[in-house]
Amino acid sequence: MKFRADEIASVIQKEIEDYRGQIETSQVGRVLEVGDGIARVYGLSGAMSGEMVEFPSGVRGQVFNLEENSVGVIILGDYLKIAEGDEVKSTGSLLSVPVGEALIGRVVDPLGNPLDGKGPVLAHESRPIESPAPGIAARQPVKQPLQTGIKAVDAMTPIGRGQRELIIGDRKTGKTAIALDTIINQKGQDVICVYVSCGQRAATVAGVVEALRANGAMDYTIVVSAPSSEAAPLQYIAPYAGAAMAEYFMYQGKHTLVVYDDLSKQAAAYRQLSLLVRRPPGREAYPGDVFYAHSRLLERSAKLSDELGGGSMTSLPIIETLQGDVSAYIPTNVISITDGQIYLEPDLFFAGVRPAINVGISVSRVGGNAQTKAMKKVAGGLRLDLAAFRELEAFAQLGTELDKATQSRLDRGYRMVELLKQPQYQPLHFADQVISIYAGTKGYFDTVPVEKVAVAERELLQFMREQKSEVRNKIIETAALDDATEEQLKAALEEFVVQFNAAKEELAAAK
Amino acid sequence: MEDPRAESIARVYADAFLNAAATENVADALEEFASFADDVLERNPDFEAVLLSGMVGRDEKVALINKVIGPYGSPLFTNFLRVLARHDRLELLPLILRESQRLQELRMGRRRVQLRAARPLGPAELEQIRTQLAASLPFEPVLEVQEDSKLLGGLVIRVGDTVYDSSLRTRLKQLRSRLRERSLHEIQSGRDRFSHPEGD
Repeated sequence: MKFRADEIASVIQKEIEDYRGQIETSQVGRVLEVGDGIARVYGLSGAMSGEMVEFPSGVRGQVFNLEENSVGVIILGDYLKIAEGDEVKSTGSLLSVPVGEALIGRVVDPLGNPLDGKGPVLAHESRPIESPAPGIAARQPVKQPLQTGIKAVDAMTPIGRGQRELIIGDRKTGKTAIALDTIINQKGQDVICVYVSCGQRAATVAGVVEALRANGAMDYTIVVSAPSSEAAPLQYIAPYAGAAMAEYFMYQGKHTLVVYDDLSKQAAAYRQLSLLVRRPPGREAYPGDVFYAHSRLLERSAKLSDELGGGSMTSLPIIETLQGDVSAYIPTNVISITDGQIYLEPDLFFAGVRPAINVGISVSRVGGNAQTKAMKKVAGGLRLDLAAFRELEAFAQLGTELDKATQSRLDRGYRMVELLKQPQYQPLHFADQVISIYAGTKGYFDTVPVEKVAVAERELLQFMREQKSEVRNKIIETAALDDATEEQLKAALEEFVVQFNAAKEELAAAK
Repeated sequence: MEDPRAESIARVYADAFLNAAATENVADALEEFASFADDVLERNPDFEAVLLSGMVGRDEKVALINKVIGPYGSPLFTNFLRVLARHDRLELLPLILRESQRLQELRMGRRRVQLRAARPLGPAELEQIRTQLAASLPFEPVLEVQEDSKLLGGLVIRVGDTVYDSSLRTRLKQLRSRLRERSLHEIQSGRDRFSHPEGD
């Protein structure tokens, strides 16, 4: 195809002929001082808090502080191009981001500008980044599961659609990995995912995007990126922008999942801005309203009532702790806002238990209702059993002689721990999870050496998929484990154990 | 570049000065103030430097005012200068003068309107703009005209913090963004022809 120059020219000519310029009316002010992502502006007497303003270079800003004689503005972009005395124009609208289907599969900055080099984002709608959370009447209880595909999470700290589950832990304990596995597991589940990266290394974000793409998860995911090289204002608004993008789909009756990675960096960016505009510092120098900054963000996740379409927005905020200190300011704040937390421990991580979830203090306050019946049945006592095992393990380390019953409980525990390990980017279907946890708790792996449990599990799942698909399909279909199915499952497991042991002996004989 | 904090202080002094002058003749007082700035300070930069400097003590400044202004100025204005000297606010004099003029205009129902035009405006045009503005604004406008060839054409009128922009430059900017918005789709579909149909 070739463009015809005269055709284009005539279109443009027509546009210009039809163009009637209106007088542009705006409120203006002048920049008094500028630096570190904020500007103080004199004038703008009609400015509203949160209003979007425009600098002559085209950079946008948001009114942050209204003072007696001046206005504090956070600059969303390059603040080095702004000089003292520049004219600032108010726009009369709140800061908004583009939303809609056009964003899916894209990597954008917190203002919705594309960062992936795939051309402009053709969104027709936009939404203010801050919007009130749905009220009481607009919500319904969380009761639909959001499968993370991670055995330890789905069995013991289940997450429901509309829930806010905090992922908390020290650096390098696999917090992002859990969030990524959850996103990858939403493939084909009609869940639109938004991954908000806030204050992360740009290389890490590139890695995340690559991992999502390689696992086919970019087809239903939006990545909002404000790496640590971006100015603090952009890092501060990134989570709100991500929430707005997800909210749009929620109000259309769709299911969404938002990952905020991570909110401690956002709090630090907010602290920087607040100190620069001279708001008084409080504990750990955070401003007094840092709690509200997070609560209003996380309150926006909801399971909407059926009248509103029944859409949902699940949040997985991430908080990084320093040396396991969960009693620091930001971690306690976010723990109290969320409906539970998944606590990751470096000790477990380095002991090879990955995901390094500490099942003792990880909880889910509302997810239990959302768990499938089958999972509830098999995982009911798992938490307590594991806690008892940890206690027993500590006791056994004293080197005392153990009776047979205690020893067998210990052996079972070792195998369960082994079973809950799961490699990255390999989320499991919930039916597979039910089968392997059932096999573990009922002792079908007791004859398997501890180091062979992972192999045995893999072979078991393959065996169930290929030879006993009717049992597996029944579990998927009913999402429950009724007595008849349980009998079938037992029979299948017995058959598998015989087969597995026979194969092992054969192998030994061959040697 | 004006400093809002100094301006707000100057406004307080200007207000007080006008109120004090109201018992006599405000216009005369303002004229005296302006002539002090034009005829005394402007012509004697050394005197201005001494008066506005922070290095000279306030007692010396008061003595200087008594000696230099006392015999010639009105008692009201001399007193006003003494008060300023005693409060260490003499460096605000130019600002106070400007603020008192503005305040007086405001009290007379007049306000400043900044006008920017691409080319010099003749007196007839200015008068026409003034009468039109007076008809549509709730006060009598006092025009401050500036020339700015970057506007290309049209006028930019600023009343307080509100700007009415009908300049050619702004209109061209609007037209440009509109044209670009319309053609975004064509640009993207043009790109799509070269990309893989199943995404990546």
